[in-house]
Amino acid sequence: MTVALGTPLAAQPTGWQARLSLGFVHRPAQARTVAAAVNHVGPLRIQRPFYPEGDICHVYVLHPPGGVVGGDGLHQQARCAPDARALVTTPGATKFYRSAGTTALVRQQLTVEAGASLEWLPQENIFFPGARVDIGTDIHLHTDAQLVAWEINCLGRPVINELFSDGQLQSRLRLFVDGRPLLMETQRITEARHLSAAAGLRNHPVQGLMLAWKVEPALVDAVQEQVPGSATELVGTTLLEGLLVVRVLGHNAERVRALMASVWALVRPHVLDRPAHAPRIWAT
Amino acid sequence: MSGLSFYRLQQLISPGLPIGAFTYSQGMEWAVECGWITSADSLEAWLHSCLHDSLAVLELPVLARLRVAVDSDDRECFQHWADLLLANRETRELRLEESQRARAMTAVLEKLPDSKAMNLACWQPALAQTQLAPLALACHHWSIPAEDMLRGQAWSWLENMVTVAVKLVPLGQSDGQQVLYQLSASLDQVVADAQACADEHIGAFTPAAAIASSLHETQYCRLFRS
Repeated sequence: MTVALGTPLAAQPTGWQARLSLGFVHRPAQARTVAAAVNHVGPLRIQRPFYPEGDICHVYVLHPPGGVVGGDGLHQQARCAPDARALVTTPGATKFYRSAGTTALVRQQLTVEAGASLEWLPQENIFFPGARVDIGTDIHLHTDAQLVAWEINCLGRPVINELFSDGQLQSRLRLFVDGRPLLMETQRITEARHLSAAAGLRNHPVQGLMLAWKVEPALVDAVQEQVPGSATELVGTTLLEGLLVVRVLGHNAERVRALMASVWALVRPHVLDRPAHAPRIWAT
Repeated sequence: MSGLSFYRLQQLISPGLPIGAFTYSQGMEWAVECGWITSADSLEAWLHSCLHDSLAVLELPVLARLRVAVDSDDRECFQHWADLLLANRETRELRLEESQRARAMTAVLEKLPDSKAMNLACWQPALAQTQLAPLALACHHWSIPAEDMLRGQAWSWLENMVTVAVKLVPLGQSDGQQVLYQLSASLDQVVADAQACADEHIGAFTPAAAIASSLHETQYCRLFRS
């Protein structure tokens, strides 16, 4: 293989590799959680943490290139040490562009230790036609940890009637409590029939998955009343040994995000013992 | 396969096996209620989707691995795959079904003369978690070849679902037979895909069925347990 002199590394087939590792630690003397260990390689970084609620560390993860192409890698790790409390979100959608053949890799590892809480609430992923993406998310919880996390995946851009006519998306999420696998969730769009499969997407280009730990059975009824589903959004809520799982199929990523944000607002006081104030960045 | 192994397999996959298979709809009762399944065609589309995006990539690959674990007397591996199957079940109701069927099937084996030789206690708690665990154990014990075991399970699942749908929709018996006839033609492919499925690709992708199952948990008037 020949590479033209002066070709920037990012243009080579190996793609642009980005790594971000966040370590949140509770500092009793300051009565707040700090991002004590932040390491980044490549174009993934965070804005200075801020504290709209006093103690909980709010962080925006930025990906300045604005889009991901085949061969790129996004590796993120977040760990909340005992009693640390953090909320992580993003200022905008993450876009995955058409691939020339190689697959973009996303790997996320979230760890929440005893007494700690993590809210992992990134805005949606948008997969342009022809994108090839492989997402792997592992969540490790201590039984006495608290978590609210979601993933919103939008195939194509339905607002301009653009379908995910070709391309591949595989996403695997695994959640462990004290090392035991509690939930494994797969998304696989590798053939055209996956877009319309009768027991599959049923022509809904937007999928949302929301998880909350640990949830009492009584709260599930309230969630079902909050988001009963509609003519355009299908919503299924279940409780797996204390893990609240909300699955959504829809046609509009913003509406699915708003729906999941309303569930977040409902469950936050129960799971984290805190009222919910939506991060201001969601409104911009 | 010997004649006896063939008959043993028929016994294991028979609708007459007292494990209540026909009392579970796996979300179909809601799918019928909401108008997704109204005819032989829409039933066929639903089951086609479940066969290719669930059976071929989750249940059958896991069953094959449970069988390998029994064949090599590897209890840790057996337990691993039983745990993994359960973690892949999307809703509380589907997990409850899995464990109810598992216990019922294990109870059937316990009452057979060769239960001692099967050493059931050694394979717990997997035998109480998923029906696939006692099925793999019995098939090993009765020398049923792994591929026949997979074919048998695929057929048995399909036959049960069609029987349930004929009651639910409702459809005529001959409609049900048509669907069974059409979908049987793809079972060889389903089994072949299952045999080729790599560990890292195991996992169902049937989100509409998962949502249907969630909504069935609170469905007002229902006849089926899932």
